[in-house]
Amino acid sequence: MKSQLLASPGQRVGTSPGQPPVPARRNPTRGRFAAQHRRRMFRTDMLTVALWASLAAALALWLADGGMSSVGNLTQAVTAVGILAGLAGMDLVFLMLLLAARLPFVDGAVGHDRALEFHRKLGKPALYLLLAHGLLLATGYGMAEGLNPVSEAVALWTLVPDMWLAFVSMALFIAVVVTSLVAVRHRFPYEFWYFVHLLTYLAVAVALPHQFSVGGLFAEGTWQRWYWLLLYIGTGSALAWFRIARPVIATYRHQLTVRRVVPLVPGVFSIEMSGLRLNELSGNGGRFFVWRFLAPGMWWQAHPFSLSAEPQVGKSSRQPTLRITVRNLGAGSARLASLKPGTKVAIEGPYGVFSTAARSREHVVMIGAGIGITPLRALLESTPFAPGQATVLLRCSSTEELFLGDEILELCRKRGATLFHLTGPRSANTQSAWLPASAGTSRLRDFVPDITDADVYICGPSAWPA
Amino acid sequence: MRLRAGISAALASAAILLVGWQAGAQVTESNASAVTTSAAGNTAGTAGGTASGTGSTAKGTTGSSASGSSSGTGAGSSSSTGSSSSSTLGASAKAGGTYAGTAVETRFGTVQVQVTIKAGVITDVTALHLTDQEQRSVQISARAAPLLRSEVLSAQSANVQTIGGATFTSEAYLTSLQAALDAAHF
Ligand SMILES: Cc1cc2nc3c(=O)[nH]c(=O)nc-3n(C[C@H](O)[C@H](O)[C@H](O)COP(=O)(O)OP(=O)(O)OC[C@H]3O[C@@H](n4cnc5c(N)ncnc54)[C@H](O)[C@@H]3O)c2cc1C
Repeated sequence: MKSQLLASPGQRVGTSPGQPPVPARRNPTRGRFAAQHRRRMFRTDMLTVALWASLAAALALWLADGGMSSVGNLTQAVTAVGILAGLAGMDLVFLMLLLAARLPFVDGAVGHDRALEFHRKLGKPALYLLLAHGLLLATGYGMAEGLNPVSEAVALWTLVPDMWLAFVSMALFIAVVVTSLVAVRHRFPYEFWYFVHLLTYLAVAVALPHQFSVGGLFAEGTWQRWYWLLLYIGTGSALAWFRIARPVIATYRHQLTVRRVVPLVPGVFSIEMSGLRLNELSGNGGRFFVWRFLAPGMWWQAHPFSLSAEPQVGKSSRQPTLRITVRNLGAGSARLASLKPGTKVAIEGPYGVFSTAARSREHVVMIGAGIGITPLRALLESTPFAPGQATVLLRCSSTEELFLGDEILELCRKRGATLFHLTGPRSANTQSAWLPASAGTSRLRDFVPDITDADVYICGPSAWPA
Repeated sequence: MRLRAGISAALASAAILLVGWQAGAQVTESNASAVTTSAAGNTAGTAGGTASGTGSTAKGTTGSSASGSSSGTGAGSSSSTGSSSSSTLGASAKAGGTYAGTAVETRFGTVQVQVTIKAGVITDVTALHLTDQEQRSVQISARAAPLLRSEVLSAQSANVQTIGGATFTSEAYLTSLQAALDAAHF
């Protein structure tokens, strides 16, 4: 089976974000989700086009400036490539920022996690381009003035206004990318990485002056300057709006507070929260929020957790509630077990396409493992399907770990879904290691014969279905 | 789907690059004419200088060997031939004259200006050579030079602000100017 799980974000991460359905071989042509699926695919394609077009546009800025005609000899060629590398590198930085900006358009088309995965992939190319920019220009300018690149770099730093800022920016970019490398990243707590990552904004900001004052491409009065300025302003406002203003507004609007913490099994507990206008917060089944519990010592940690139940706003419950189910995997999440009722909660989200938005077919298969079972519960609650058209596979090492198993069983019964429990330690056979040893050599197809014509949701530890 | 996205992206990018290229070719053409005119201007200036001057030396390779031409008002008129004697402190400046500054090398080309002083007042600054190594730098210089000239004329010194977006031109311009002013003992 093709699984689309992300490259592991780290061994210690207990669950990976929910995966959107794996597209099956044939594209759906009929049914109520087909049109929705086509729209989503169209948006994805538009994003691909926009991405490449922006890169082309960055290079075109230089071409339109008569760049080509300025290349007459080797010195000028080196300089020209250096300028182009800078343009392309900076354009990638803008794209990375936009990918991380939680734009609803991007989130709805490819999903939050694939956007971030792509964001990560761009990191190294962007850094290499910016490094090339610095090195090539020091060489090219140096050749023009008869200096070696090092003396030229020193001259640039000391003599040219704004250039020292560019050097600082470069150092910051290096720091950001290095601390984001998987190997380095896991030596430090998440929050350290996060703090260093924030320096990106500083790096981008201090890179600005030299772009506008040194070199002529963005000189005053040129349309290139306006284009570039718009990129800066557009990216900056997108970040300010979607990453700061929107979460602040949502937090204020919904006034979430912890109502109670319900232990399930040791190390696993549900957090129930009440608040205002929760129906608007519907995660649409299985989407996640980034939570910040505003208690002493906890407020500075933000955790992504999926909803484990759709917001309860019916007449039956007088006080509407939201629920998440947490497994303590680290110091931060363990502390959440001791949350006091009444603690205020700040939120960002909902994010992700682990929801009905990603549906393309009538049939649906939901596969969950470990704590990844819990978001399935919310999805099972909300995603539309006719009786007999859904299959739920729950994988865990013991029946103890069938978190919310009773509730899921109840939901499956009510909605007419087929449910399998796959419990037990891993099979020795690496081919089917996702199955318990007891399942022998059975394969996914044995459980779900029509899997190629179904939407498949997978949620579990990142190492699991890989 | 992926194929469709790939093809559309390639087409869009190609179109954008093509438009950029096309625009670039136009810029180059218009610049070429700009260069010609400024070159013509230079030649005229030099020719004028030579005509009026009393054996003006080659345009200042060093600041001190500023060509002692006459004030440029008329064809080789009386006003001064003494300016070539660099030892006559101040006198030459009072008398006035035209002085070329050093040729300053920048990464975008050479910059050299010439200053005209009349009765202790800077009356004109002309650019003998401006940055020309990249197409853009021709434009930048062409824009910056008049601004610098008018600032210098009102400040009556080389002590003026650099022009934003034209740092290299400005600094070289003012350096060359300072050399010319030094030569004139201004
Ligand atoms: C989309 C998504 C949905 C999730 N849903 C659930 C769920 O429903 N139930 C559940 O129990 N767990 C869920 N998790 C996992 C949960 O968020 C982590 O286990 C938890 O943040 C660990 O925090 P910690 O401070 O205890 O551990 P730490 O030891 O501090 O960190 C453990 C690991 O988690 C990573 N991490 C910590 N904070 C964040 C963050 N804000 N963003 C990204 N990575 C972070 C760190 O890089 C580290 O590798 C989900 C994760 C994601 C990405």
